[in-house]
Amino acid sequence: MIRTENVVKIFTGRGAEVRAVDGVSTTVDKGEVVVVIGPSGSGKSTFIRCVNGLESFDSGHVYIDGVDIADRKTNINKIRAEVGMVFQQFNLFPHRTVLENLTLAQRKVRKRKKTAADEKARMLLRKVGIAEKESEYPSRLSGGQQQRVAIARALAMDPKVMLFDEPTSALDPEMVGEVLDVMKQLAREGMTMMVVTHEMGFAREVADRVLFMDMGKIVEEGTPEHFFTAPREERTQLFLKQVL
Amino acid sequence: MKVAQKLWPWQLLLAVILIVMAAGIYGSVKRIDYEWRWYRVPQYFLYKAEDPIKVPDDGTVEEVATAGGTAKITVNLVDGNRQVFEVDATTVRVDQGEELFIGDTVGYVTTWSLGPLLTGLVTTLWISAAASVLGLAIGLIAGLMKISRNYTVSMLAAIYVEIIRGTPLLVQIFIAYFFIGTVFNLDRNVAGIGALALFAGAYVAEIVRAGIQSIPKGQMEAARSLGMSLPQAMTEIILPQALKRILPPLSGQFISLIKDSSLVSVIAITDLTKSGREIITSTFATFEIWLVVAAMYLIVTSLLSQFVFYLERRLAISD
Ligand SMILES: Nc1ncnc2c1ncn2[C@@H]1O[C@H](COP(=O)(O)OP(=O)(O)OP(=O)(O)O)[C@@H](O)[C@H]1O
Ligand SMILES: [Mg+2]
Repeated sequence: MIRTENVVKIFTGRGAEVRAVDGVSTTVDKGEVVVVIGPSGSGKSTFIRCVNGLESFDSGHVYIDGVDIADRKTNINKIRAEVGMVFQQFNLFPHRTVLENLTLAQRKVRKRKKTAADEKARMLLRKVGIAEKESEYPSRLSGGQQQRVAIARALAMDPKVMLFDEPTSALDPEMVGEVLDVMKQLAREGMTMMVVTHEMGFAREVADRVLFMDMGKIVEEGTPEHFFTAPREERTQLFLKQVL
Repeated sequence: MKVAQKLWPWQLLLAVILIVMAAGIYGSVKRIDYEWRWYRVPQYFLYKAEDPIKVPDDGTVEEVATAGGTAKITVNLVDGNRQVFEVDATTVRVDQGEELFIGDTVGYVTTWSLGPLLTGLVTTLWISAAASVLGLAIGLIAGLMKISRNYTVSMLAAIYVEIIRGTPLLVQIFIAYFFIGTVFNLDRNVAGIGALALFAGAYVAEIVRAGIQSIPKGQMEAARSLGMSLPQAMTEIILPQALKRILPPLSGQFISLIKDSSLVSVIAITDLTKSGREIITSTFATFEIWLVVAAMYLIVTSLLSQFVFYLERRLAISD
């Protein structure tokens, strides 16, 4: 479903060169849930943003369903419609109601009729548990509600893959659960997911595979059992000792 | 606890200051012995025009019938035709049976006409409106070009903005009319509106650029991550939010434009300012006319700011 080959992203700022992503190769199979963990600044966000082309990378390849997004001939908008993304800061459209947030891209990108788009949107709002807020503006919702709308907005495009970049990091603790519940449900339904998170409980419970990144590289990769009980690498052990 | 301050002493102070200032101006004017002729001003807003009604050929008056305020004069012309003229009853110049020669006046019709102050105001309004619409379009395009990642595109916009903002509008109007207008054989209105639009466009471009850049980057990323193209994301997500934010500076710019439009009077466009000058040459009511002209500009600009204020509140519903 997703295959990355030697992805390198270099930021140059004020003379200094940061290899934010330094040769990352991995795969995410259909229906698999891959959780990416790692210390702050290790390049997790940059990497996941490379996967849908929000960040252009310097070298390497990212294949989505076999299509190389580094290829100039690839229509990136078409790929992105298949890859949903959920951001730390929700990024809902503040000038649109909740329902419009869900229908806008359906209509403009998927070219769906208004009735079909509305129906899909309402179905998803029910699924994430905020059907009654459809005509509110985002600013009137709590953080947890906003993030659930953001998930529903991405799902409305019927994506093949969902990317999550620290979806619960900007939330008050009491709202983390409601968002994680929606994500767990998605995982159970067989959605292919790549999740950057600091929620170790989620990783342990839901992940099929865990990637540990540090300094732009994948340091260790394995099942949650392996990861949380017998990590091989010293850096992984150190990191887990700090967060657990 | 701080007690809420009473407002009325300050209102009183304000009134006193204004009255003192007005009295000061009044006193100074008194000293230079200026003769105020306010009664002369109204006719420059609206006046009664008396149009003479003339017979198209020789003939005889058959009948003069007065009904209410109008008189119907029936004339038998030499070619055998009979024609009826309607004039104001008080202005009838002919009697029954009178012989008329071609071009004789049988009476007058009075109509209310717009005086130069109002026609000048209309000119000012439409020139400003046309320049605003054009300037908004130019500014939007130039603003988008300025944030373009393409070097050539963004530099072109930057050069345009720099040139316009670095030269006086008056000089730009002269160049537009005497140089560009001569080369391309442009009408003075086209030159005037064009110069104003280009001028406003440069400022609008900066406002638009700042407005777009004030929208958090996450908005564009969210839109793009849903598969929207750059133009779709711009028109659906970024610009609607940016426009709401730039409405106050934008309206300030258009209010300035109305005032700046007075400069087109230098290329002989009869706007409100030029009308004022023309009236003064024939009446010498210098003080009155300039005060009235200033008041007219003030009324238009305040109405516009009121309207924008109303719009802003309407748009605030999603906050
Ligand atoms: N736009 C940018 N310009 C320059 N450097 C950047 C940019 N974005 C990220 N970086 C740098 O790249 C490195 C990786 O950043 P990234 O945001 O991917 O880390 P992260 O693992 O997501 O961290 P966190 O857990 O804090 O979100 C950091 O050193 C960061 O300073
Ligand atoms: Mg991050």
